[in-house]
Amino acid sequence: MAKVKTKTFKKGVHFDDKKYLTKDAEIEEMPLIDDYFIALSQHIGVPATPLVESGDKVAEGQLIAKAEGFVSANVYSPVSGRVVGIEKRENKFGVMDKYIHVKREGEEMVTLPPIDVSDGKAIADRIEEAGIVGLGGAGFPTHVKAAPKKPVDLLIVNAAECEPYLNCDNRLLIEKPVEVIEGAKLIAKTIDIDRIIFGIEENKPRAYEQLSNINGVEVVLLKKKYPQGGEKQIIYACSGRKVPAKGLPMDVGVVVQNVATCFAVYEAVMLNKPLYERVLTVSGHGVNQPKNLLVKNGTPYSAILEYCGGIKEDTQKLVAGGPMMGIAMSNANGVTTKTDSGLLALSPEEANSAQPSACIHCGRCVAACPMNLMPLYIDFYTQAGEYKEAIKYGVEHCMECGCCSYVCPGKRPIVQSIKLCKAKLKEKK
Amino acid sequence: MENKTFIDGSSPHIRGNSSTKRIMLDVIIALAAPFFAGLWFFGFRALLVVFLAVISAYASEVVFNLCCKKTFKQALDIDLTSIVTGFIIGLSLNANAAWYLPVMASVFAVIVVKMLFGGTGNNIVNPAIAGRAFIFISFIGMAASNMASNWLTPDGNVLVGATPLSNMLNGSEAGVSNLDLFLGTNLAGCIGETCKVAIIVGFIYLVIRRVIDFKYPLIYIAVTGLFTVALKGFDFSWFLPSILSGGLMFVAVFMATDYVTSPTTKLGNYIYFVMLGLLTAGLRIACKIEVVTFVVLLMNFVVPFLDKWLVPKPFGNQPKNKEAKA
Repeated sequence: MAKVKTKTFKKGVHFDDKKYLTKDAEIEEMPLIDDYFIALSQHIGVPATPLVESGDKVAEGQLIAKAEGFVSANVYSPVSGRVVGIEKRENKFGVMDKYIHVKREGEEMVTLPPIDVSDGKAIADRIEEAGIVGLGGAGFPTHVKAAPKKPVDLLIVNAAECEPYLNCDNRLLIEKPVEVIEGAKLIAKTIDIDRIIFGIEENKPRAYEQLSNINGVEVVLLKKKYPQGGEKQIIYACSGRKVPAKGLPMDVGVVVQNVATCFAVYEAVMLNKPLYERVLTVSGHGVNQPKNLLVKNGTPYSAILEYCGGIKEDTQKLVAGGPMMGIAMSNANGVTTKTDSGLLALSPEEANSAQPSACIHCGRCVAACPMNLMPLYIDFYTQAGEYKEAIKYGVEHCMECGCCSYVCPGKRPIVQSIKLCKAKLKEKK
Repeated sequence: MENKTFIDGSSPHIRGNSSTKRIMLDVIIALAAPFFAGLWFFGFRALLVVFLAVISAYASEVVFNLCCKKTFKQALDIDLTSIVTGFIIGLSLNANAAWYLPVMASVFAVIVVKMLFGGTGNNIVNPAIAGRAFIFISFIGMAASNMASNWLTPDGNVLVGATPLSNMLNGSEAGVSNLDLFLGTNLAGCIGETCKVAIIVGFIYLVIRRVIDFKYPLIYIAVTGLFTVALKGFDFSWFLPSILSGGLMFVAVFMATDYVTSPTTKLGNYIYFVMLGLLTAGLRIACKIEVVTFVVLLMNFVVPFLDKWLVPKPFGNQPKNKEAKA
């Protein structure tokens, strides 16, 4: 294990990955509950259009909302039941959104028709049909990504999982390595790529071993450093190619897919099962029984936490996704979507938040920024309302990984400033 | 659970353990080494000078806060930056300095240089450096050598030509051995600046705690030594005396590395510290006084431009690649 030389990118931060909480927890199927709220918008792009009305009977795996245009994705019912209605609910961002409320009833289940798995075009169509989106968190529809406008020759499977706490990809690789690899091969087939590289961080030795033991799989061991799983960072670490600033991976002939996405593709193509459930890590010191759960889309977070033994009294933050880039929610009323990789209950010690103090110009954010920007000046000019000035310091290149805020001794909300600055710049355009 | 609310807000939701207070505490701990060395060599007077400087710096900030209509509790709740400023001022004075010198330097440093410019993080020059320069200029007739360099014993006897640096500047032979300079024995000087061993202990502590990058003070010191050698016609016997004497080491470790008044980029820092070294060596010989204070002060004004002009290129933004593709 130690003999393999790890690869990495420049800068970034090192921290305690807190993976031990769920590293060895086998993926568990969460028992069914009564009410599911399936979001129409679970991806980047246009929300899907509902195909059902209140009172309709639906089966598990039935299409209930159809993609609207190219950059959109189909939505399937996760359970057999009856549609109560299309309701408005607060989503995890605290904004009202439309949900299909399904009450569980009966045990009907449907699957998609089988396809010819040797035909790349058929696979691509199936990926689109099954409503698969990037499951790493961004939720970009996979069929759009898998139809690059430029020639590509390399598929990188992002198994870095550099966010602390999360283990969903790790567990998938330990428990279903063959399926994930098959899924990656299927994606490669749709875009006619021969070379697949798995990029995996060194803190997942079991998953690394599993992958290495399977013949014909190229695995690159990556250094444990955040944000190793950033798209541009993992491409650089695995292939040495540098995605141009403001460019896309296809500009250097690469497509990046997440482990969970590959698994979803495998299920959709080989088992004819559309995407309506996923593995999610429930962790953090605030939750009583950390677990890796197979959860149906549309499950309320409160139900998941209850299943995991509830949360401790002093829980300070509830985060959907990873702690570095996830979303902190003010309550547990949200529901899971395709893109949720984690649900974290963080104690005050873990969150370690404090009132921001003045910037002391220490330069730690500059030293940490994996995009080579100067976050302190972006923050400074945003606070001053001089949004255009912040462009000079690279605000447009920021991927909001959070390294700058993490290392800041003044605990300044730098990422918040950057998000604000980006929004203001967009407004002005 | 339904009714429980959590703290929301922007990512990231976990933070590192560093804090401004902790960093300042580390600097104070590191400063303790030269402070105790000063106590050993200069006795009770050294304690008094440092105490006066620290207390006046702290009081200045509290009084200023009260004048800004902060509540008493808010006014007392300061980060430790003004303590550090006071501590450094105290250590950069002579042990026999009149009582009003540390007080004036600290009040000027904290109120005029720091607070009036907006408090922590907003000062343009290092408050301690400015405070030291302020009294050096103000009392130039009275005791010029008292303030900025090493040439005075604690009991007030001027040791003319007693240290290699003053000899070097006047062009005569060195009178004190390099070992004396290194240990601070048989030597007059500012409280914190004489014992180089203690400064190195503080330096190592700061490096281990990752408060400062070990490269930068070393660059400053090495460039000063080498450029002095070059200016003296490549006479390498000048190397050790030039880096061991005067306030160079203390300033390089504790003052030039001040976050607020040094660049944030790697390249900026290299330029900053190399320039400091060149200017120190050059101006020492040209002006025939210990100039480190003024050199740092001067370069402090250049720092904002170094940051503005040397913005690093974002990852992947390489014109060469683009040309190759086109």
